[in-house]
Amino acid sequence: MNTFVVSARHEMLSTRRARTAHLLLIVFIGMVIASSVIGWVTNQTVTGVYEKVVADGLTTAPNPFTGVTPLYYARNAVIYVLLIGSLMAIVLGVQATLRDRKAATTDLVLSRPVGSATRLLGQLAGLGVVLAAVIGISFSVSWVIISVINGAPLGWADTGRVIAFGLLSWVLLSTFTLLGMLTGLRSKRETTALLVPFVIWSAIAFVLPQIGTAARPVSLLNPVPAVSSTGGYFDVVAAITGPFSVTEQFKRASSIVLQDPAVTGDATSSVLILLAFLAVMTVVVAVTPRNRMRSGLNE
Amino acid sequence: MTNSAIATDALSKSYGSTLALDALSLEVATGEIFGLLGHNGAGKTTTVNLLTTLLAPSRGTAEVAGHSVTAAATEVRRAIGYLPENVQFYDTLTLMENLRFFAQLSGLHRPDQRIRDVLRILDFEGRDRQKLGTFSKGMRQRVGIAQAILHSPSVLFLDEPTSGLDPEGVRTLRETIVRLNTEFGMTIFMNTHLLSEVTKTCTSIAILRGGKLVHQDTLANTLADFPGEDSLEEIYFRLESEPVS
Repeated sequence: MNTFVVSARHEMLSTRRARTAHLLLIVFIGMVIASSVIGWVTNQTVTGVYEKVVADGLTTAPNPFTGVTPLYYARNAVIYVLLIGSLMAIVLGVQATLRDRKAATTDLVLSRPVGSATRLLGQLAGLGVVLAAVIGISFSVSWVIISVINGAPLGWADTGRVIAFGLLSWVLLSTFTLLGMLTGLRSKRETTALLVPFVIWSAIAFVLPQIGTAARPVSLLNPVPAVSSTGGYFDVVAAITGPFSVTEQFKRASSIVLQDPAVTGDATSSVLILLAFLAVMTVVVAVTPRNRMRSGLNE
Repeated sequence: MTNSAIATDALSKSYGSTLALDALSLEVATGEIFGLLGHNGAGKTTTVNLLTTLLAPSRGTAEVAGHSVTAAATEVRRAIGYLPENVQFYDTLTLMENLRFFAQLSGLHRPDQRIRDVLRILDFEGRDRQKLGTFSKGMRQRVGIAQAILHSPSVLFLDEPTSGLDPEGVRTLRETIVRLNTEFGMTIFMNTHLLSEVTKTCTSIAILRGGKLVHQDTLANTLADFPGEDSLEEIYFRLESEPVS
């Protein structure tokens, strides 16, 4: 067994034994499942009210859920992946690299015939398997719930879209795992190692997407929809900041994959941006020098 | 290549403007139990870190088990075992899981039987499913020895192996070290403060002072060369007080 696989397996075992990781994984799986259940409850409630209204002869309009794609019920999961999933991924990443620094086991590991990049990429692979398992479990349960709501198993095409959404989620969460690993390697304190990626995540998830809008103050301040300005300074700002908001790219690509009628176009550019971020973060973590891995914490 | 287990030539290490190790040239013959002595900050741990490839030298060369620590670091790591000062493990994992990890990192494919053999050598049977978080300092130190010898290294580095141990723990560890040397033929290189342990364990010694080597010889020759001194402790303090050339 090579040292890459040994590191990956060790990471999976350590994550399985970590209580914080357990808690986060359970919350994530629970929320993704809840998103489908919420969709189902909404369907049942609205349809119940609709049938009563129709029985009273108050409307002849069609049931608003008639013609809704079965994947409608999976769309809420996008926001849970983005919010809870990303935070879970950051914590897993920070724990992975801080574990050795806190316990001072790095010297034992690095005195074995293992390269620093192999060790770190092995850890990433282990966490990648954990994330894949979590996404697989939660999305499988979602698939079952959606099939129950739908009254029949999802077809191959829709199942493929759920799998594609799972893959996109894995890419996003792996990127945030790498961010956590990086700050776990670079920070001098445990609190900083957790705080810094949370701040970066907040900026990516909430601040960057707002910059394009904030650059058009009228649309923010005026309740009347602003006249859409095209071109010029504001669009340049939005064009520059947009790609850096990986969470927005994830939302866009996922919405297209899950056939949200509100989002149209091709998901390719968003998927490529997500993959580019994953690749860049992987390289940044993999080139961490041995001395940095060996450095202790100031606490 | 040399026939020595360890050979260094003008080995130096600087941290910024601080020279931690200054042109260290020493040789440790195969099969020896070698004690590196010196006050805190003398450069002992830096020497071990350089020889175990955890640090890269600023200048000079070093060979361990016939391999250069810079040009063939992976080969050096395959040939050595290492017990750091205040060794720590993954507390949420069991003894077997911890040792399996380090054994597999060292290249052992099916290590469980070897782990059981090593635990038997160290009188540690029946604890392999216990989590490391429940182990005492002395027990952890023995686990540290276990992880260091799983892959049958030819050279074993021990950094302050008796640090923090009670007298019983010190004695057990000393007996283990001697046994590893005599029964399994391991060359042992250890840093220590406990001069009484050096007298009972080591076959040769070196003394570092301010990063410089001030003495190296066999223990027997050292004791014979200072007839006026009663013990290794007296010799140590005399050498430590003499001006460095």
